[in-house]
Amino acid sequence: MARILIIDDDPDVVEAMRVILESKNHKVISAKSGTEGLKKVKLEKPELILLDVMMETMDKGFDVAREIKNDEDTKNIPILMLTAIKDKIGLDFRKEAGDETWLPVNDYVEKPLKPQELLEKVERLLKIK
Amino acid sequence: MKYEGLLERINWLIRLRWIAVTGVIITVLVVQKIARLSLPFFPLYLIPALIGLYNFLFFLYVRHIGKKQAPDFETKANIIANFQIALDLFSLTALIHFSGGIENPFIFYFIFHMIIASILLSRKESFLQATFATCLFILMVGLEYFNILGHYCLKGFVVNDLYINKIYMLGTSFVFITTLYLAVYMASSISIRLKDREKSLREANLLLEEKDRIKSEYVLRVTHDIKEHISAIQSCIEPVAEGMLGELNPRQKDLIHRAGKRTNKLIFFIKALLDITRIKLSKDIDMKEFSIVRTIENTIALIEPRAKAKGIFVDCRIESTIGLIKGAQVYIEETIANLLINSVKYTPASGKIEIAAMDRGDSVLIRITDTGIGIPRDEIMNIFDEFYRARNAKEIEKDGSGLGLSMAKQVVERHHGRIWVDSEEGKGSVFSIMLPKK
Repeated sequence: MARILIIDDDPDVVEAMRVILESKNHKVISAKSGTEGLKKVKLEKPELILLDVMMETMDKGFDVAREIKNDEDTKNIPILMLTAIKDKIGLDFRKEAGDETWLPVNDYVEKPLKPQELLEKVERLLKIK
Repeated sequence: MKYEGLLERINWLIRLRWIAVTGVIITVLVVQKIARLSLPFFPLYLIPALIGLYNFLFFLYVRHIGKKQAPDFETKANIIANFQIALDLFSLTALIHFSGGIENPFIFYFIFHMIIASILLSRKESFLQATFATCLFILMVGLEYFNILGHYCLKGFVVNDLYINKIYMLGTSFVFITTLYLAVYMASSISIRLKDREKSLREANLLLEEKDRIKSEYVLRVTHDIKEHISAIQSCIEPVAEGMLGELNPRQKDLIHRAGKRTNKLIFFIKALLDITRIKLSKDIDMKEFSIVRTIENTIALIEPRAKAKGIFVDCRIESTIGLIKGAQVYIEETIANLLINSVKYTPASGKIEIAAMDRGDSVLIRITDTGIGIPRDEIMNIFDEFYRARNAKEIEKDGSGLGLSMAKQVVERHHGRIWVDSEEGKGSVFSIMLPKK
């Protein structure tokens, strides 16, 4: 049972994630833009953030992640990036994923979501904390 | 393209000149040993030797500027071509002078030089070369006629002193000079027409490439949009299918699983389409040195469980001398993996797959052999085409994307390599990839 913030501009995907996460009794908060997301991070102090890469504004998702990690108050909140990696960023992403200075997130899952995979990664990140 | 064309033509001229030098020496030998004419043989051997010498120097120089790909290459190459042709004309005049002057029927060999000039040079330059040839000719004939320069008679071949016969001299000169100009006129007309045709073909080709690029961009955008939606659909189906909103009754479960399977197939297809479109649109791909041996081992690890499940024996022969090659490792790994996955898919139970990597010096040859269903003979030509699937492959898997092999071809060709297949229906297939190491 944890408070999880989803930042994603696709309401349908947010609903799907809400169902998956609520099946494990997590409390789900959502935001549909980077700006709204950053506000809710400060306000709600979630234990985990699911952050969409939000590519129509290119690497907006990464900017949000960087801002969260640069803030003393929020930098310890783990971030799970949601992305259609191979499709959108190209294959380079995989190679650099280990480089933390480049990619300020703790892990990522590929869309479309596989519920079990998402849940496993969520549990793992919550444990780190 | 233009650069290479020019270089190629100059090299062609240099090659022709080697043939000419050989031809001259053989002709002089025949004249000396068989026809036994008395001529000043020393200069007749010296001149081809000198031609050979300057040809060698030109060869070195052209190779030098060709390697550097100098920016002013075109101007330089043009000057060289003009200079070479002028030298050739001078050498030919000298040869003719020492072997009978105007009496020598070889004077008409000037035509060849005019044709070469018309192919290599502009029309104006070709006419200038014709004028230069005319001047040289008139000078030679005139100096011999007025006895300022010695005349070497082709004794036994023509009547004596034909060269001081005024009518013969003027008549031959007239025919000779008009022949030169006519030759240039005709050859350059043909050459100009060919060049125009070449230019319009090149333009048409560029236009086609541009259209193809626009088409690819369109495909990319559409597939992108579709993928977004289909991905959201799949994300919504999964939690329902897994019973996260309560157990489904068997009918509900069945239908939702069918829906899930179809969206999955569509996602797989869209991914393949995006991959191939993206590589087509990318101007250059990131090339780094990597171990092809380890890459192959990765792919084998990937397919071994599937092969084992089907009772297929996987054999691997890798030559250890291969070392590192330069390329986009992720793409190459995906390509080899795709070929191996195909082999497992289309090889019946208890079959055999062999992957071999052979060192071929500057390149590496990767060969995947299976005892699978093979490819029908009349379809081998098409299997690298986008969306094409062979009849017998469709029987085994109804909805493959038909993009795997075209993607493989794209990847290999982007590495300046080659991919091909040998196959016999019912017996198996051999896919080969030749990749340059650098």
